[in-house]
Amino acid sequence: MKKIIHMIDITGLAIVGLTLLLFSYSTGYSGTFTIPPSLLNLNTIFLSILIEALPFVLIGVLIAGIIQIFVTEEHIQRWIPKNKVMAVVMSCIVGALFPACECGIVPIVRRLISKGVPLHAAMGFMLTGPLINPIVIASTYMAFGNNFKIAGLRMGLGFLIAILVALAVSFLFKGSQLKASVNIETAHSHVHTEKKSFTNRFWSMLIHSIDEFFDMAKFLVMGAFLAALVQTYMPAKALLETGNGPVTSLLVMMALAYVLSLCSEADAFIGASFSSIFPTSSILGFLIFGPMIDLKNTIMMLSVFRVKFVMGMLALVISTIFFTIMLLQSFL
Amino acid sequence: MKFSYQQAVRALILLAFSAMLFKLHFTGDITKFINPKYVGLSQSASVIFLILFFIQITRIWSVKEHSHEHCYHEDHACGHDHGDAAFNSKKLISYMIIIVPLLTGFLLPAKVLDSSIAAKKGGMTVLSSQKSPQKDTSTPEAIDTDDNITQGEETAIDDNPVDPGLSADQKEISQEQFDQLIQKLETTPSIEMTDYVYDAYYEEISKDINKFKGRKIKLNGFVYKEDGFKENQLVLSRFLITHCVADAGIIGFLSELTNASSIEQDTWIEANGVLDVTNYNGMELPYIKITEWKKISTPKEPYLYPISVKLL
Repeated sequence: MKKIIHMIDITGLAIVGLTLLLFSYSTGYSGTFTIPPSLLNLNTIFLSILIEALPFVLIGVLIAGIIQIFVTEEHIQRWIPKNKVMAVVMSCIVGALFPACECGIVPIVRRLISKGVPLHAAMGFMLTGPLINPIVIASTYMAFGNNFKIAGLRMGLGFLIAILVALAVSFLFKGSQLKASVNIETAHSHVHTEKKSFTNRFWSMLIHSIDEFFDMAKFLVMGAFLAALVQTYMPAKALLETGNGPVTSLLVMMALAYVLSLCSEADAFIGASFSSIFPTSSILGFLIFGPMIDLKNTIMMLSVFRVKFVMGMLALVISTIFFTIMLLQSFL
Repeated sequence: MKFSYQQAVRALILLAFSAMLFKLHFTGDITKFINPKYVGLSQSASVIFLILFFIQITRIWSVKEHSHEHCYHEDHACGHDHGDAAFNSKKLISYMIIIVPLLTGFLLPAKVLDSSIAAKKGGMTVLSSQKSPQKDTSTPEAIDTDDNITQGEETAIDDNPVDPGLSADQKEISQEQFDQLIQKLETTPSIEMTDYVYDAYYEEISKDINKFKGRKIKLNGFVYKEDGFKENQLVLSRFLITHCVADAGIIGFLSELTNASSIEQDTWIEANGVLDVTNYNGMELPYIKITEWKKISTPKEPYLYPISVKLL
């Protein structure tokens, strides 16, 4: 026990010291020691993914805090249809109306599930949230030469695929699938919340958001780092040159979407730059798969869900997108 | 009163995040990470972190059973760590991971992406395909509507082109303004590729290379080379950032220069030349025959940002 207290002492002091050190260093960096440029590239991409994601993660944890404090299990039970199919369709529509980003949506989904939202509905919401929203539609529209075809197909097919996956989830997985440490929510824990004043509840909402942030942060950091690592050291070129034929090119584009972990608002432009190397169907695979699940997002999901479920989800999404697009290829 | 180290550490981390974002904005380095269009978003993130910090510091000193004050989930029903549980090595690792970006953000300089990233991003494979004449096989519709292929963004035409960073505050231009811009490109005898118009002009030139053949062009960029280039060839390239540098795409012109092999990769040069057409691995590409050039230092704003034309 004493040891632990010592550890806290040391870490606490060390971090206080470090922060002070950072402040003094930050202005006077002169580059006296040399760092390989590829490491600096890695660091720049890593930080940029993080800086890009942080606002959305903060919005995500704030919304999660709001759900935790202001939404009760009774609300959820009233809102969500009992019928599985209806619940899935409704959650996909709510996701489509809800402008989220794939990094901010994980804490929200976690909070929803612990409040009693059925898993299939939560997954429908998670898949359509980042994929279908006005910003993504607009950027896709512009990236493909002010042509609505790709944007429309992206939204339409994406919606269909999200419904299929969520339905499959409802048959394949039972229970909340949250990690044991996370899944302690009990139905009676909020009985006394009604007595609290609004300010009190608002305050605890913010406190919850902070804790939620710290739960999420390390996974966000690891996810951003992995994505940056891939971008700095994996030659997309080699990958691009292997992709011949509809099957390989679709797989290549989906793999690229996964490892690049781009924000759904920005990936349309990248997707468009491949549109002459690969057929439309492969580009669609890139555009639909990326926002649903990517490397950064997988790591964040692992913080919340059981490993088995995350892997199952990944396999489901990949196979559903792959087969849907292969089936519809001749019409595209 | 009881002092909680873990809550203190959390407070410091929140403050450090806020400070790091503030520092990047203050020094202007933020444009080396994200498109200035989104600067507002990350500024608000900095402010939110600061607010969360002020909330968090109230938790550092507490009466013994403090958790009842702020949090009515005495049974930890909300299922996450409130930072009150005993400290262990697992938590130490978590905090270590979280402070990594803070350390590198404060200590390491922001790096402008270089040719090694350009190579990883696909290099000539992407460059030569963007203007592929077979585009129609995949998306036939794209052809009819191509007079509006627009992704760049800028306001007034006579906006100061030297400082594209300022374009962050610009409102979207209308389709009309954009057409004027393209009109200007079509009539001018010598094309000047400022940062402001680069992406739009690049797109337009790639669409119909022959139309611009023989025109004078002035541009800048960093040198990128690839295996298979001739002695006198290099690419004058730029990165186009949609949101953050992670989504940077390479654009640029294959160019011809007598002593190209003597110029190091990543050297920034400013060049004047004449537009021509060449064949690269079976693709028609715009080609610049450089007539005069000089080395320049890396611009303060090294990246290009796409144009967004108001849709409605």
